[in-house]
Amino acid sequence: MAPITRIRRFSPLDRLFHLFLMLTFLIQAATGFSRLYITTSWGKNINTLFGGYETSILIHKWVGVFMIIGFLIHTFYLLIRINWKNLTKSILGPDSLVLNFQDGRQLWQRILWFFGMGSPPKFDRWTYFEKFDYWAVYWGMPLLAVTGLMAMFPLTTSRIVPGWFLNIAVLLHRAEALLAVSYIFIVHFFIGHFRPSSFPMNESMFSGSISLEEAMEERPAWIERLKKEGRLEHARATPPVLWYRVLYFVYGYTALTFGIYLLVNGIANSHAISLH
Amino acid sequence: MKRIASKNLAGFCAAALLVHLFVLPGVVSSQEEMASALQRYKDQEASTGYYEQSEVMPRNQRPLIEIPSIRRGALPYSPTAAQVRIRTRLVDSHLGIKFYEVLRCNYCHAEQTKDIHTVRGNLTCRQCHGGEPISGIANFYSPLNPIRRHAYVCAKCHEGASVSFAAYVIHQPAAGSSISRNDFPALYYSYWLMFILLVGTMAFFIPHTFLVGLRELIAKMRKKKHGADNTH
Repeated sequence: MAPITRIRRFSPLDRLFHLFLMLTFLIQAATGFSRLYITTSWGKNINTLFGGYETSILIHKWVGVFMIIGFLIHTFYLLIRINWKNLTKSILGPDSLVLNFQDGRQLWQRILWFFGMGSPPKFDRWTYFEKFDYWAVYWGMPLLAVTGLMAMFPLTTSRIVPGWFLNIAVLLHRAEALLAVSYIFIVHFFIGHFRPSSFPMNESMFSGSISLEEAMEERPAWIERLKKEGRLEHARATPPVLWYRVLYFVYGYTALTFGIYLLVNGIANSHAISLH
Repeated sequence: MKRIASKNLAGFCAAALLVHLFVLPGVVSSQEEMASALQRYKDQEASTGYYEQSEVMPRNQRPLIEIPSIRRGALPYSPTAAQVRIRTRLVDSHLGIKFYEVLRCNYCHAEQTKDIHTVRGNLTCRQCHGGEPISGIANFYSPLNPIRRHAYVCAKCHEGASVSFAAYVIHQPAAGSSISRNDFPALYYSYWLMFILLVGTMAFFIPHTFLVGLRELIAKMRKKKHGADNTH
């Protein structure tokens, strides 16, 4: 048996969900910004890309609905994946994405390592910042979905709640959109592309696998656990083919460039917008 | 004699027609939207702001819906209260202002032009606040009084608007200001909550991210140096 050189991190379904989220997030960010910044000349330029002020909101609403459907499908998938018979192990175990006490300890260890006061923490399958990144979507999506739907159907909404809730809905929608966009385009992009261990691109979310060497360096606890449980062989993966690598490099860099373009121009024109 | 008279009459009619066509303003059935939303003068506004009952259709009214801050006895909202159309009873808020006829709304009400309906909807002030005399919205006979605002103003564009719909605050105060704290506390606290969330998240994660980058760079350089030493 050949020695294992790569192990699998993300299943094809995980990668599909991420791809869907990427596309919808970028479209929503772009159409949202084109509406938010309409009073600036940059905003008017991106608007023409989407077919104008009215068409932008049409795209934004439709893609928003698709995003909500995708979110519900993912939540359903999550509920299926939970081992209901073995609930505590499933939710609080090392393979789970739920934050636990261990993550807190690893965060503190890492902060100490930043300042040269200790060794880097031995991460298991999911690091604390990856878990945060995952759950941040569970905060942002419901908030954006609910406030977005309120703004989409103001007449129906005002029959259920008082009309002044719409003032708050618009404010929260814009504020949360700005929070999500700045977090993704600054923090998430850095972790995925610019930090030295990921530069030029962290391929694991596209190829689905990482080299065993890299895994042992960053996630030694996970590799130990797989070896102990005898599951390392099961996690064997083949490296991605060249054409696929080229494809996702181009795709990834396009998304990155577009995101940074939106971020930079968004900050540059930030004087022209308000949250309400 | 008759032929000369008919010729003169024909000439006179032709001249009159030409005068009507080229000199007098034409009859138009609809008003043109003006591109600059706030530069309309009183004499160019023809709409009184009152519309026929059949032109506005607030549908599916819920009889137990309360109008915010208005309590009128046991039944908070009386449908007949809306049917007031006496323009002569409106109190002119602008009585006595010098040169009022040539001023624009934004000359005095600059703050009120920053709302979404004006900036993005391209509405003019008069499209909602109606023709002269313009009274305050608390005046019983005003079309903008909360008891009838949804029917007389909102439903002009938002067909089916209810009383609750009209509770949306058009001239929203700046969300983070002290004015909003007094008048619209829910908005004020939502704004500051989101502000703290945004600033807090960024304040933690941006330094964290920067330190990750720095530390990994150091580790990489050390490894390179260590690797270079090993080859010797």
